[in-house]
Amino acid sequence: MTELTSVGGMPWALASMIGLPVLVALLVATAREASQAARIAIAGAGATWIVVVVAAAGQLGDDVPQAGAYAGGGEPVLGVSLALSFDALSAAVAVLAATIGLLVQVYSCAYLAGDPRYRSYACIVTVFVAAMNTVLLADDLIVLLVGWEVMGVCSYLLIAHHWELPAARDGAAKAFVMTRFADLGLLVAIIVVGASVGSYRISDLLVAVESGRLSDSTITAVGLLVLLAVVGKSAQFPLHTWLPDAMPGPTPISALIHAATMVAAGVYLVARLLPVIAASTVTAVALGLLAVVTMVLGAAFALAADDVKRVLAWSTVSQLAYMFAALAVSGYVAAIGHLIVHGAFKALLFLAAGCLAHAVGSTAIAAMGGLRRPMPWTFWSTTIGLAALVGLVPTAGFFSKDAVFGAALDATHVQTGAPVWLAWLVLVAGLATAVLTAAYATRLWLLVFFGAARASRQADTVHEAPAAMRVPVAVLVVPTLLLGPAVLAPGWLGAQAEPFHLGIAVLSTVLVVLPGLAVWAAWRPGVDPARRLGRARRVLARELRVDDGYDRAVVRPVGGAARLAVGGDADVVEAYVRGTGWGADRSSWLLGLAQTRNVATYVSLSVVAVVLAGVLLGVLG
Amino acid sequence: MMSGLLVVLLAPVLGALAVGLAGARWTPRAGALVGVVVSLVSLAAVLVVWFTRSPEESFAGEVDHVWIEALSVHWHLGVDGASVPLVCLTAVLSALCCAWLAGEPTSLADVSRGDTQAGPSTHALLALVLVVEAASIGVFVALDLLLFFVFFELALVPMWFVIAWWGDPHDEAGRRQAATRFLLFTVTGSALMLVGFVGLAARTGTLQIPELATLAPGITGTFELALAGAIALGLAVKTPIWPLHIWLPDAHASAPTVGSVLLAGVFLKLGTYGFIRILVPVLPEPTARLAPYLAGFAVVGIVYSALACLRQRDLKRLIAYSSVGHMGFVVLGIATLNESGMAAAIFASVAHGVITGLLFFLAGAIKDRHGTAVLARLGHGMYTRAPWLAVAFGFGCLASLGVPGLAGFWGELLALRGAYEAGLDGGVLSRATAWTVLGVAAVGIALTTAYFTGLMRRLLQGDPAAAEPVTAAGTATATATAVAAATDLDRREAVVVGVLVLATVLLGLLPLVLTAPIGEALPWLLGGGR
Repeated sequence: MTELTSVGGMPWALASMIGLPVLVALLVATAREASQAARIAIAGAGATWIVVVVAAAGQLGDDVPQAGAYAGGGEPVLGVSLALSFDALSAAVAVLAATIGLLVQVYSCAYLAGDPRYRSYACIVTVFVAAMNTVLLADDLIVLLVGWEVMGVCSYLLIAHHWELPAARDGAAKAFVMTRFADLGLLVAIIVVGASVGSYRISDLLVAVESGRLSDSTITAVGLLVLLAVVGKSAQFPLHTWLPDAMPGPTPISALIHAATMVAAGVYLVARLLPVIAASTVTAVALGLLAVVTMVLGAAFALAADDVKRVLAWSTVSQLAYMFAALAVSGYVAAIGHLIVHGAFKALLFLAAGCLAHAVGSTAIAAMGGLRRPMPWTFWSTTIGLAALVGLVPTAGFFSKDAVFGAALDATHVQTGAPVWLAWLVLVAGLATAVLTAAYATRLWLLVFFGAARASRQADTVHEAPAAMRVPVAVLVVPTLLLGPAVLAPGWLGAQAEPFHLGIAVLSTVLVVLPGLAVWAAWRPGVDPARRLGRARRVLARELRVDDGYDRAVVRPVGGAARLAVGGDADVVEAYVRGTGWGADRSSWLLGLAQTRNVATYVSLSVVAVVLAGVLLGVLG
Repeated sequence: MMSGLLVVLLAPVLGALAVGLAGARWTPRAGALVGVVVSLVSLAAVLVVWFTRSPEESFAGEVDHVWIEALSVHWHLGVDGASVPLVCLTAVLSALCCAWLAGEPTSLADVSRGDTQAGPSTHALLALVLVVEAASIGVFVALDLLLFFVFFELALVPMWFVIAWWGDPHDEAGRRQAATRFLLFTVTGSALMLVGFVGLAARTGTLQIPELATLAPGITGTFELALAGAIALGLAVKTPIWPLHIWLPDAHASAPTVGSVLLAGVFLKLGTYGFIRILVPVLPEPTARLAPYLAGFAVVGIVYSALACLRQRDLKRLIAYSSVGHMGFVVLGIATLNESGMAAAIFASVAHGVITGLLFFLAGAIKDRHGTAVLARLGHGMYTRAPWLAVAFGFGCLASLGVPGLAGFWGELLALRGAYEAGLDGGVLSRATAWTVLGVAAVGIALTTAYFTGLMRRLLQGDPAAAEPVTAAGTATATATAVAAATDLDRREAVVVGVLVLATVLLGLLPLVLTAPIGEALPWLLGGGR
């Protein structure tokens, strides 16, 4: 069993990263009224942030020994141990999660002011943060699974926060059922790992893979099963349809869960288990292909969507695919760098969308227009966020996207787990997606902030968001602008960073500026530039009818099978039971015929029986 | 010197006698208090026996006296790591049932007849609950085959009365039919099981389970396979295994709340305990031959019951079908005949008792408020109408669908792991069978998520004012009833529900509580008593 080195005091810091949010959640749940709950929630999020940042400060950087804590091993049957580990990867994502968590708590107390269910909301968000930290800190796969699924439950409960809306109910149910189905892949993978490696510890698994103890088929099976779980959790093709439908949830939730943390947990898991994924060509190719399809599809759907949050949701799907594509070609540092940067600017964009919704009363693009003047803060923050999404200099998005392209480019002439054609495919698809990204981002920017204000909307009812909502958005502008060079710093993730590729950087900048200009040219005030796509727009707006496909292939057959099952019980199994009863009844009637209570009949029958017996004995005797 | 186990058995019997003889002289509250106290005495006694056990003996608190010399039946009792959790579960659930009955007697009266004194009284129900508890504990501690059978049957008869007399007040004919069907099914199964037991005794010359386990390696052959088949079939009716499950939904739909809780929480475990205690240790080789079929029926049951749940219109029937699914995981664990599987069987049995007990208590609370368990008449938006009831119910649904971190997960994990390991070299299933079984069970888990999510969406979420389209005559009254019945949990209900919620979280986060005793029992269960 591998042992982890313990940095002094760390076991308690690690345990409190999980324990503190749980404790805070209990306090929030028992708070007497909403304002007290808000104070406890924000203070708790702040305290968690401090613990995470202090612990992370010691981990980021080169040549730092991994910290860890380990309890258990005396459990006889399950083989689970409470093993936690904290290295640079966990530290980086934990800081992201804790920061966005804190900002979302602050934002929510204004966004959900007056909401009668605020207390349960704040409690579940805090539990979510605890679950996310469990995933990030877990060295035991079962502990990771616990955190993984609890995140899914919290996501379900939070999407359904406004459960009086049918769209929210449907979106929550869909998200939960689809992700739980995908999580079964992780469950079976864990079982296979436990049986093959003899332990559920990730560290033991990675050692076994490296030492060649596991057969190729086992490694591929585990990799594909983990891939299923990750495709579901991170909304990649073909399980991508739940994320846009989760948008009826409150906007801070979309920022926290469906942009920065839960969907990023899939990327984290693949990064954590990268040796397993990279060791099998089948898995790496599958991951790469799914990522390539998803990134183009997500960007295309965003181009035709008519709701701000839906555009951002498809954008998230597409950007997550960038991270997976980078991991498929073993661009570990690039993928995680993009994860952090994307978390920052996507949360910024979602929170800004919340400000827009607060002002205009809806997130539909049709309700917006000309918001540049009444909402200057939101305008400038969103502009910077969109610039990072597109990848314009000098935002962090430029550097992180370039790192992804650079990783793909390097993989075309350096041997990694994936074949060279995959690396080329990733590069080309990534550049194509960048073009589409620029198009939909510019479209969104123009339609929301420029043009004439809606005639139905009174000019003076639209105002800038309150401070508690503006400030988190403004705070997120800082990493969106400044995080770039940090992502390129050598060894920040304890691994070799990608060097800066000037050629790709210039190419990608040109490739994103041109579509932006094209969309601007196609735009007239009040006219959606996507109309220029003609019939293609309608196809994209229907999102390739993947949901209809699921309905026909899954939902309806299951419904039919359910009818069969109930019918089977009523008509088949029940028939046997009733048949037995009927049979017993009939045979008792038949036998009852012999009970005539007529002595003469009994005597006659006895005589006949005796004679027959005598004859038979004579014949056989 | 009074053995601890005799205290465990006698306490509920004495309680039943006391409550039954005192009759209407005691208020239901006082009777319930007596019931809770004797159940807790049982619980304490079995824990004392367990924690003061000596390490060399396989069974703690063993008691062995000859009872019927001519049949060589012994009064042979003992507990080990497999029975102690089940005895504790029985005692706790019975205590909670007695506490639940401390409510006003009018809650059990026949509301459709409109009179307050109608119907059989609460003290008789309390006495019957305690008799069922005593008989069930007897099954779990019996180490003689015939004694096991006697207690097995003894638990049946009071349940008939519970369902037939205290069942659904609106459907007298239906509840009698459900009770009679339940009785006939399980008695037929027990008869088959008795045939198996008698054959086993004739073959080996002893009825004592520990002795039979030491003789296990020699018990192979066609006759023994038939015996194993008879015992398995008999227990399959009780567990229940598809397709012998048909008695369960009717029984649950007609039973009163405490009847459902005892039926699901304790009664079904009698069947699975028979597999764990008798079939696997005493007849390992024949059971290994039956294993693929058991596993097949188990996973078919998981998927079939999940599909049936998707279309259920009655809340209690839905939870009943979910029980069939859970028992499918238990039987899957047993069929794998390895450590993971057997541990899964015991863990999942206890976890199911806690979680489904919780769900049935809450379903009973909902039924009491609305007068019906039909989903169309229960309305929507219970989060607004009765928040804590709704939250507890949502928690129960999440626990039942196996969310990691709650009790239901560990049994499922162990069952799937057992199935996988059974397909490796040295296991009882072929590789193909093991992977098929694993896949089908996983589909079952996905379907379980679907129907519970649908249930939560329909019942807990949604617009409280809107009612589903019922017949024209029923719509207005249904909405009015639904809105009017919106009172949250009272203190008695909150205590009962709270205990089970805490138990679910405890078993979910600290599985060691159960896996420690289970781990100690596994060598005996799988090693043939050596």
